[in-house]
Amino acid sequence: MGMRRRSGGFLLRVNPILCDGFGHCHELAPELVTTDEWGYPIISPTPVPLANMSALESARYAVRGCPRQALRIERLSEPA
Amino acid sequence: MALTSPYFWYTTRATGIVALVLFTLVVSLGTLVANRIGGTIVGRFELNELHRSVSIVAMVFLFIHILTTVADSYVSTGLISAFIPMTSSFKRMPVAIGAVGFDLLLSVWVSSLLKVRIANRSWRFIHWFGWLAFTAAIAHAFLTGTDTRSGAGLVLVGACAGVVLAAALWRYVGRPARAAGRTALSPLAAAKGGAVLEYPHSSSPAARLAPRSTVSPFPAADVSITERSPSPSPPAARASSGPFPRRPQAPSARRVRR
Amino acid sequence: MTSNTLPRLLRGAQGRPLTLAQHEETFAFAARRASMLEELDASGLRGRGGASFPTARKARLLRDQRNHSKFVVVNAMEGEPASHKDRTLLSTNPHLVLDGAEYLASIIGAKNIAVCVARDNPAVVNHVERAIHERARRSLRGPALELHTPPWRYVAGEESALVHWLDDNKSLPQYRTKRPHILKIGHSPVLVDNAETCAHVGLIGRYGADWFRGLGTDESPGSALVSVTGAVRRPTVLEVALGTPLRKVLEASGADTDPQAVLLGGYGGRWLDAAHLDAPYANEALAPQGVSIGAGIIVVLPRGACGIAESQRMVKWMANESARQCGPCAFGLPAIAEDLYQLASNSRDPRGAHQRLVERCAVIEGRGACAHPDGVVRMVRSALEVFAGDVASHLGGVPCAGSSSVQHFASVPTLERAEELVWE
Repeated sequence: MGMRRRSGGFLLRVNPILCDGFGHCHELAPELVTTDEWGYPIISPTPVPLANMSALESARYAVRGCPRQALRIERLSEPA
Repeated sequence: MALTSPYFWYTTRATGIVALVLFTLVVSLGTLVANRIGGTIVGRFELNELHRSVSIVAMVFLFIHILTTVADSYVSTGLISAFIPMTSSFKRMPVAIGAVGFDLLLSVWVSSLLKVRIANRSWRFIHWFGWLAFTAAIAHAFLTGTDTRSGAGLVLVGACAGVVLAAALWRYVGRPARAAGRTALSPLAAAKGGAVLEYPHSSSPAARLAPRSTVSPFPAADVSITERSPSPSPPAARASSGPFPRRPQAPSARRVRR
Repeated sequence: MTSNTLPRLLRGAQGRPLTLAQHEETFAFAARRASMLEELDASGLRGRGGASFPTARKARLLRDQRNHSKFVVVNAMEGEPASHKDRTLLSTNPHLVLDGAEYLASIIGAKNIAVCVARDNPAVVNHVERAIHERARRSLRGPALELHTPPWRYVAGEESALVHWLDDNKSLPQYRTKRPHILKIGHSPVLVDNAETCAHVGLIGRYGADWFRGLGTDESPGSALVSVTGAVRRPTVLEVALGTPLRKVLEASGADTDPQAVLLGGYGGRWLDAAHLDAPYANEALAPQGVSIGAGIIVVLPRGACGIAESQRMVKWMANESARQCGPCAFGLPAIAEDLYQLASNSRDPRGAHQRLVERCAVIEGRGACAHPDGVVRMVRSALEVFAGDVASHLGGVPCAGSSSVQHFASVPTLERAEELVWE
């Protein structure tokens, strides 16, 4: 799947109401997600550059793997 | 034209048994995922992925099972009888049960394919049908099968039923309190001392009550309205608004009808 | 009303709500406004429900929505227990609030107005009902007024939770991704405004933006209702011109003018040290201390009380008031209540509790769907700052000056049992 833009960044966003603290996102994208003591995800607010392909791939796996579909990838247009 | 061969029959029976065993595995894995097993040796996401992958394999075996039954003209089960119950002239009831199970499984499968697009609540509602589908599969295996009523066949079907029954029990008993619970991978997972707070939904009310306030010398019953201008003019008359009812201590939890 | 003095909103207070006839006598109709929205813009009115968002901007956003049916929701839920101003306003001048709601409805093109009052206060519900009937009897044109009475909870007054209630009978806050987010009931966009804000709109509609700006400061024009509780003769609601020095507000309400600290903005607001009490009561003046006037709430803490213990009671109650939709709030708030308790009482390891408290505050902040956990964290952090001396005593195992006091100043409602927030 090609991408028109390689510049810009993305952010992993969690819907805290849907999230039930399964923790799959932390296992699939440990560089983007850590968990708090109750098992809920802490996602760092700094955008990740789209050029970082491995991070984007991990993010995609996390979005797909979330049992509650609580994650989304938000594309940001300005360069990270 | 008649198309028949004993191999259709062998394939139907074999794929049926394999599908049953695989679905047993699928349900067991699903229970492990729901009860949040894993995180240290095996990743939770791995169990989830296994659950998804095995279910695809099981569906393939199920399709072959149905196709070979339908294609075999030795028994008159048309394609329609795989979807609509009670339309088969051969073993009407057992095939009907199988059809019901298949329909339920189809709905689970399609909803999972569209999981990203539909509301998570709807997906979860449909996903519960999996248990029903498995029950139908056990009944179908027991009633339809020619060799599942004795010997190794019976033991196999019985074992599958037993495993899923145990899984169902554990699913209920071992369910996490309102989700979460600690994930083994949390950097704060090692209990850092401090009270393990009882989750707000716990049954004992005592821990959650705020301490009852002692009576303060400032009577809080009335709300008075005073109108004062900020300039140093004499203060306007204090208008008392009369006794206002205090906010009741126990907000009602009655069901609401709009 | 040509003179520019107070009272404005509470004018004509007589112990019973003003009838429609009395209302029209008290507030003589002055002039018809050409463009109500421009008048609101010029007045610089900001919301009085806590967020201080410019009312004209919100109205313009709703006006620009293309849907046919829109709603105006008057939020008189008053979820903050230390706040009495909306109840008082509705028991004094309900028609002023309804006037404002009708003006807002005409701006955005709404045909329905929903006035939401907590059902736990039957007197206020009665007053509003009567006011609505009076108006209905008078004219059949104009937007339809409805009274809704959700059960009282802290979060039930939050915008998205209120709209969720009107839409689906559940007082649960909603997750909003982009700001500004238009809330909807079904497919109809909704303008939610606090009851006091609507009352100000009602006055601006009659007397104009220049009149409104006659009181208050440039950045915070107009007057505001303030609920004063705590160390005060009686819990009081006053109308003050924004920019009045805080000490004067305390004097006028009969409160302790030499307190230890005051809590501004509500249980999700911030503590302010007594040293800053000469600051004007306005957002721009209090901003350097990181404080905002919020929903017009002042809780006065006298010198003999322990600020940490009071804060702990508040946090414990706020934790119970969580909607429990989001993990960090559902688990985090009870955890910090417990840590604060260990810090305030004679526990074995107050230092550990303090450290955990600070860490947990950082972890919980910003991770809920609504601002409930953020408010609590903000209040706790300000308590640790303002009562730093007491914190040091507690950490050293020495009882602080206020720990001998048995009296509580922050009123926290007691519940017999924790109620579920979802009613069917």
